[in-house]
Amino acid sequence: MTRVIRTRVEFEGNISEELAVIQGSDLTRWGPGHELSSVGKPVARADGAARVTGGAKYTQDLFLPGMLHARILRSPYPRARVRRVDASRALRLPGVRAVLHRFNAPRAAFRGEETIFREEVRFVGDEVAAVAAETAEIAAEALRLIEVEYEVLPFVVDLEEAIREGAPRLEEKGNVSESGTHKRGDSAKALKESKIVVDAAYRTSTQLHNSLETHGAVASWDGDRLTVWESTQHVFGVRQGLHLALRIPMTKIRVVCDFMGGGFGSKGGVGKYTIVAALFTRQLGAPVRCVLSREEENLAAGNRSATLQHLRLGWKDGRVHGAEHHSWSNSGQGRWVADPTGPTDTLYDFTNVTSKSYRVVTNTGALASFRAPGYVEGTFALESALDELAQRVAIDPLTLRTRHLVTGKDPKTGMRYSFKRLAECYEIGAREIGWDKRKDGGVRGSTPQRRRGIGMASQIWGGGGGPPAYATVHINPDGTALLRTGTQDIGTGTRTVMAQICAEELRLDVDAVRVELGDTDGPYGPISAGSLTLASVGPAVRLAAADARTQLVALAAGILEVPAKELRLERGQVISSGAKTPLREVLKQVENFTVIGKGSRFPNPQETALKTFGAHFVSVEVDLRTGEIIPLHVVAVHDVGRIVNPRTAASQVEGGVIQALGFALTEERVLDLPTGRVLTADLESYKVPTVRDVPRITVRFVDQPDRVANNLGAKGLGEPPIIPTAAALANAVANATGVRVRTAPLTPARVLEAIALASAQR
Amino acid sequence: MKPFGYARPRSVAEATRLLGDDAVAIAGGTDQLGLMKSGIAVPERLVSLSGLTDLDGWTRERGKGLRIGALTPLTDLETSAGFARILPVVPQALALAATPQLRTMGTVGGNLLQKTRCWYYRDEAFPCWLKGGTRCFALEGDNRHHAVLGAEECVSASPSDLAPALIAYDASVELRGARGGRTIALADLYQAPHGAKRAEHTIRATEVLTAVRIPEAALARRATFLKAMDRKAWSFAVVSVSVAARVRDGKARDVRIVLGGVAPIPWRARSAETILEGRALDDATCRAAADGAFADAEPLKDNGHKVTIGRELVRRALRSLADA
Repeated sequence: MTRVIRTRVEFEGNISEELAVIQGSDLTRWGPGHELSSVGKPVARADGAARVTGGAKYTQDLFLPGMLHARILRSPYPRARVRRVDASRALRLPGVRAVLHRFNAPRAAFRGEETIFREEVRFVGDEVAAVAAETAEIAAEALRLIEVEYEVLPFVVDLEEAIREGAPRLEEKGNVSESGTHKRGDSAKALKESKIVVDAAYRTSTQLHNSLETHGAVASWDGDRLTVWESTQHVFGVRQGLHLALRIPMTKIRVVCDFMGGGFGSKGGVGKYTIVAALFTRQLGAPVRCVLSREEENLAAGNRSATLQHLRLGWKDGRVHGAEHHSWSNSGQGRWVADPTGPTDTLYDFTNVTSKSYRVVTNTGALASFRAPGYVEGTFALESALDELAQRVAIDPLTLRTRHLVTGKDPKTGMRYSFKRLAECYEIGAREIGWDKRKDGGVRGSTPQRRRGIGMASQIWGGGGGPPAYATVHINPDGTALLRTGTQDIGTGTRTVMAQICAEELRLDVDAVRVELGDTDGPYGPISAGSLTLASVGPAVRLAAADARTQLVALAAGILEVPAKELRLERGQVISSGAKTPLREVLKQVENFTVIGKGSRFPNPQETALKTFGAHFVSVEVDLRTGEIIPLHVVAVHDVGRIVNPRTAASQVEGGVIQALGFALTEERVLDLPTGRVLTADLESYKVPTVRDVPRITVRFVDQPDRVANNLGAKGLGEPPIIPTAAALANAVANATGVRVRTAPLTPARVLEAIALASAQR
Repeated sequence: MKPFGYARPRSVAEATRLLGDDAVAIAGGTDQLGLMKSGIAVPERLVSLSGLTDLDGWTRERGKGLRIGALTPLTDLETSAGFARILPVVPQALALAATPQLRTMGTVGGNLLQKTRCWYYRDEAFPCWLKGGTRCFALEGDNRHHAVLGAEECVSASPSDLAPALIAYDASVELRGARGGRTIALADLYQAPHGAKRAEHTIRATEVLTAVRIPEAALARRATFLKAMDRKAWSFAVVSVSVAARVRDGKARDVRIVLGGVAPIPWRARSAETILEGRALDDATCRAAADGAFADAEPLKDNGHKVTIGRELVRRALRSLADA
């Protein structure tokens, strides 16, 4: 019987109500000792060979017959009014088919606005016009021929300048708006009562996603049906966005994302480039490709906000007595804030807490979710401050954290944790890094000018997933299975782990399950974000496979004339007492896809906090004379429930650590303040880590199934591993050198500045 | 990118006839193509040097020194055991330059003639002084990567890792033009852009750089190359230090200290060299020389760290000569 349940689901710290349409009852969770044949095994990626040999086709690889190429003209000014657009010279260039701009483009709703070409452009890179041409080169040339008259307006691009009195006012209510607050106890009183107070400002820089595959879409009309291939984390979100922008029925739109070259949060829905491709293909009757260049990617495809964070931690009677955290985020032209105060609110059992988060609008590109948005920034500040406090009161930093370990209930909401093994993460990490050998003031490094140190930091994040998510399992005549779900594999190994879960229930080998995903013509799957894919989609896949198994057994019982309860499936065989019949022998007697299993994600238990935990331990060597930081070893320990595939899971953690090291050491969007231009819009000057920058990484999991979370006992792992690394590294640097660097990335210039400041104060 | 013509001459003489203000030479293309794609260089014609196979490879003749053809791929110098025995500082420098892919395509001549990486110069939207505009945008903008020494109107920093290493060995370059050839000191291939000279190189538009020469006497020096980078690969120098000297009885002679990434040209720290001449390379002397190398530094608002790092690298490099 089909039932509808309204249920609350957490996504990146926000609670929303969702509908779950479910049938029957959920499966019993595989317990800790349950013997499993596919789940929990280090299965190699199903698409690994295709990806490394070029066989995997990404959106950018798609070249349809007669396809046109679209390019976008972007504002050279951080703020200006578009007075006039003259495209006549561009249109005369041979090969140019059409030009769209604010004076001729059809209405197309996008993020609360009625057009994709604003009258007032608000950052360098804002969309002004688009060209469709027979080649990408002609389209690029045509952009130079479009004449635009701009009325240049006052602007501000820097976070701290935008906050200042007298800064150009970008929105009616001002540049700063409060976006979130939490208060428990009386922090003001508590800080007054504290004998020792750490009071410091921390800064983090704008990080750019720089997915290897840039944003892009190919759109094509076939009759009255629009098909869009897009590099996206959410095919259904893109469909919804196109439906709203173009006002065509959703049933007429199909969105496909088969292989994807990274998103890290920035590819959560429809983009202006998608709408450009769709408008052009509708107008011109040919497929249209609109793929961003690396430069465009770094101007207009999202970022992690720069932050200014003010922390105050008060110490009394051997405890953190009061905590205050005020944060300002440069949201650019984004309408929301990735709130950094979450860790301060929830990571420790502080009694008196006040946190406030502010959105600051500037004339820079809008933020986009970036792998644990807010928590990377907030953890850097909180965990740095906590170590500063530990130093001041001469307590071991790990002891301080253990003393404030939250047990039982989320201190902010009062909801009971489903399962928490943070203390175990501390134990494992401390052992692996050799915490007992940590010395105050660090130890001598490989040369007299170098010092070594160890630091650590904790991680908290969601990852419990939830409905809605659906899957079907079609049984092929040969006994193999076709699993369909509308989620997408954004590079995390989704295709592989879903096949493992399906194979487990069907008692098949993993390679007997083919997975089709990333297609709105399949059953609904949620956005691949918020570390929710495995915990949302996986349980639905398990139910679909179990449904197919039940049907298969009933089918076999009827055909073999044996009672169903005497039959079981094992590696493509139907087994009864003493007899084995290959599944394909049974299926030969019925038609294709006679058995179709269906599954849906059941609601989470309400009033329960489903969280992931972890701790990173980092050892570094620091050159005191050149400011160079050499990370030596990162130990990453995570508690995310059951590990479905230790191999892809370890790969997730390594990727997260490496991206975090970029945030911690080298990655920084640099703006030219007088003009608002991005100076680091390429991979030469925007420095993501190279293979040589990657230290030894040890990955460990608690690997115990969550006792409450879904029928797998598994939670998400996409975001947790990027969260604590930067703070752990900054703490290791402080341990090694005795000086605190409060700005990420910790560049040599900043390390030297901190050293010079400290020696001046001595 | 604007359409352009292409020629592939068979001889240096033919190449020099084809070259001109609007016809530029291309070897590995790792810099030239980037300049064209970003709209900084808009040549009418590219003159490919790939047919001039005589310019690929190096030779060593006793008494005549070392000659390196301009089209020799960087990776060949980096990986040749024979070359490493003669001039080990070059593979040392190249191993830290760019990436294996870029070193495979890039050539010796191209490396020496590469344009500055200044992000204002490289962005078409900034009509900077070096490109014929009226001012240097780096002065009031973000100048963390820029020069602390020897800058005039333009504060760009010299990017080559190879050039300082070769200058430390008194390298010269052979240039061939339509009306014959000339040989100049490699150091004189560079000029701090100033006044009417809005270019970092002194090569004429019609000339081809054909070879680099190292005199026999210089090959007796020992040398060290150190480089501070923003990350461990594919990063231009924050500061690079090439030092070379003959060390006999603990005393240094013919000392050369050449810095990359700190001035618009590969920067010869002459006063520091003088301090060291005939002296033992003890720590105090090396420290004095290192301070001397940056005595005239005028850091901008974002690049003071180059002075701190540069001094330390010079000290370490000199000390390593004593230890060698």
